[in-house]
Amino acid sequence: MNFINRNEIADGVFFTNIKDSRFKTMKISVNIVVPLSIETASENALVGGLLVRSCKKYPDFTVLSKKLSSLYGADLTSSLSKLGESQVLKISVSGLDDRYSLDDVSIAKELSELLCSVIFEPNVKDNAFIESELEQERRQLLDVIDSEFNEKRIYAMEQLIKHMCKDEVFGTKRYGTAEKIKAATAESLYRAWQNLLKTAKFEILYIGDSPADKAKEVFTKAFANIERNVATSSTDVVKNVSKEKHITEEMELSQSKLVMGFRTQISAGDDEAVAERLMCAVLGGTASSKLFNNVREKQSLCYYCSSAYDSIKGIMYINSGVEGENLEKAEKAILKEIEDMKNGEITDFEIEATKLAVVNSFKSSSDSVSGIENWYTGRIFNGDLETVEEVSAEVNAVTKEQIVNAANKLLLDTVYVLKNK
Amino acid sequence: MNITEIKSEIAGDSYYKVEHPSGLTIFVYPKEGYTSSYAIFGTRYGSINTKFSVNGGDIITVPDGIAHYLEHKLFESEEGDAFVRYAKTGANANAYTSFEKTCYLFSCTDKFDESLEILLDFVQDPYFTAQTVAKEQGIIGQEIKMYDDSPDWRVMFNMLEGMYHNHPVKIDIAGTVETIAEITAEKLYEVYNVFYNLNNMVLCVAGNVTVDGVLKVADKMLKPCEKKEIKNYFETEPYEIKEPYVEQTFPVSMPLFNLGFKEKADKPLNENQLACTDILLSALASNTSTLYRKLMDSNLINSSFSYELFEGPGYCSVIFGGESRAPKQAAEMIKQYISDIKKTGIDKEDFEIARKSVYGDSVSSLNSVSAISNSIIDYEMQGNEIFTYIDAVANARLEDINARLAEMLDVNNCTLSVVKQPEEV
Repeated sequence: MNFINRNEIADGVFFTNIKDSRFKTMKISVNIVVPLSIETASENALVGGLLVRSCKKYPDFTVLSKKLSSLYGADLTSSLSKLGESQVLKISVSGLDDRYSLDDVSIAKELSELLCSVIFEPNVKDNAFIESELEQERRQLLDVIDSEFNEKRIYAMEQLIKHMCKDEVFGTKRYGTAEKIKAATAESLYRAWQNLLKTAKFEILYIGDSPADKAKEVFTKAFANIERNVATSSTDVVKNVSKEKHITEEMELSQSKLVMGFRTQISAGDDEAVAERLMCAVLGGTASSKLFNNVREKQSLCYYCSSAYDSIKGIMYINSGVEGENLEKAEKAILKEIEDMKNGEITDFEIEATKLAVVNSFKSSSDSVSGIENWYTGRIFNGDLETVEEVSAEVNAVTKEQIVNAANKLLLDTVYVLKNK
Repeated sequence: MNITEIKSEIAGDSYYKVEHPSGLTIFVYPKEGYTSSYAIFGTRYGSINTKFSVNGGDIITVPDGIAHYLEHKLFESEEGDAFVRYAKTGANANAYTSFEKTCYLFSCTDKFDESLEILLDFVQDPYFTAQTVAKEQGIIGQEIKMYDDSPDWRVMFNMLEGMYHNHPVKIDIAGTVETIAEITAEKLYEVYNVFYNLNNMVLCVAGNVTVDGVLKVADKMLKPCEKKEIKNYFETEPYEIKEPYVEQTFPVSMPLFNLGFKEKADKPLNENQLACTDILLSALASNTSTLYRKLMDSNLINSSFSYELFEGPGYCSVIFGGESRAPKQAAEMIKQYISDIKKTGIDKEDFEIARKSVYGDSVSSLNSVSAISNSIIDYEMQGNEIFTYIDAVANARLEDINARLAEMLDVNNCTLSVVKQPEEV
């Protein structure tokens, strides 16, 4: 990595350039961050789809796609995610670095301008998006909701969050609800788009070898005409459980899914967050973890069994695929592994192996454009710009005692079972 | 030892091919400035190799799913599990079995030499006992069930079953609960000794590595193998498909479809044919195409729509698939469009766009140490080379693309597979 340069180019608009000459490609991502809300999530989601579908300059999906393909298969995508109780709409372009162009076209320059025009000069008319374009996007988004039901692993996870966080903003899905998607109009989406430009926080990342000056200038100019009034988002971290919830749903399947949600009482920004992450990895984050070795390998109770930590929301998830008849046994076996950790039954080997695996995955991320992008996007949301080496050093410094303490803060909140009939 | 440097003017990269005295072919692709490395060690042995002979001997038949079972069991040795050994180096290790190959791999940022030693050691050191073999039945049984619940997996295998009369590509890679019950330690040793011969295998390494560094470990760890003549037998497969339509009901809210065109598969496609096919399919069905637009405007597909060339020993097909609320209509529109375009050919503008797009994708893939290694091993096992493919893409001509179009995608020889919600009664 050569250098990182970060500036605020307008109120709440940050431009971060990570210069790196090792890759064949470059990428620019615009992260549009707003507070998650059931009222606005669906409209924002639709706006994201519409922006990458067409724009004033390329007013039709096929024309825009052809432009991208002729820039050596460049990609323009929008994606939607939930970071704690923020909704993040990401619009990005990526394409070949100028060195590999077969003609004289500067791909980087073309893509910078294209990205800016899809965000600031969408395909709108009389203060409304184009009706036919909206109908296509609406159908696509409703299909995405339906297809989540097809993949039972994803469905089970979504159901857990729905039940566990039903009284929290976090219970809202990243794209809101089907009802709100159906209710949106070409006019309401135009207002939602304008609202994003005025109130969202923008994090723009430019990763590549070619100079970022041009892109920075285009974005600075575009924001100069907009009156900004940034809405900040925050995430409510729940640290107690009044009553454990157990939910079972039945379906025609060959395998059952068992998903568990724990309140960790520790979240990003807390001193113990790194220890919490390591605790979660020792439990079920690697191929040498307790869940993988003991519950899957030794007891053959699950085909997969792993844990994941959402540091922003302060929740740990355990995800497993289980034979219907083994559901109870598997749940007990998983909880036993956690009890063991609370009682300090963790070997030095388990800790060392987990540290090596975690550090290995951090370091590997610096060898790809999207790995670098994800790393720095994560750090920016964490409020620092720590490098892989710095965070790795923190991981290596975690002690067994800190891991045991973190385990002792785990509170089981909800168990969701998708049972085969 | 024969070491050849393979260079790409266009991509500005180069890598090395080594014919190691042990019989193993080794590729080393150094990536300057990278901190991570990736190694993949594969054998030309997958789920379809269930009937074979060695050195002209009798034909041996083994149970479906045995290659995958062997992959699981190879991680164990008398001294313990390979994952436990990798845990000491921090490498991220994995393995997979496909139709025509089995591969063991790891990625790491530190202690590369130690991890490579572990990889070469455990793959060359089988250890199967009645007890350890029996233990795996449970986990693999659950893995099979997990795939039974995957509509994407089911829609594809149902299509292959509809397309092929005899070729074992239609059989699930993991086999069935019944066939894996026939697997014994003796059978595992038997197939191991045939297919895990270094002459039948390839090692590919990319990233923060050097030829000398890799060869030092290889010289120490590889056990020379005597070359054996392996012959694989596949029953004769007619040109015609078996069934034009297959359907399965499933708890899904979005129906899924795969429309597969059965292609001639007498010999593997070379780099030039692959390049032409990839450009052709991009011009035909990528999101810039007229077909894609028509399907979208008719609400017959959504952004999950995809296409692929699916090719291996003795089988070849082109698959279009995705979610659709009206799979039969989507399939009809695709077939109609293909019939029409076969009369006119792909036009020049669409060809140019597709050529640039496929070129960009192929050069971009050289960013990733895993993508590089996986491609090199795939190409090698098919008798191809990746930079030759990229050159073929850059230099492709419209007339070659249209010649490919004329000889493939027979609209009277395709199978539609659908997975959908049971009808309300």
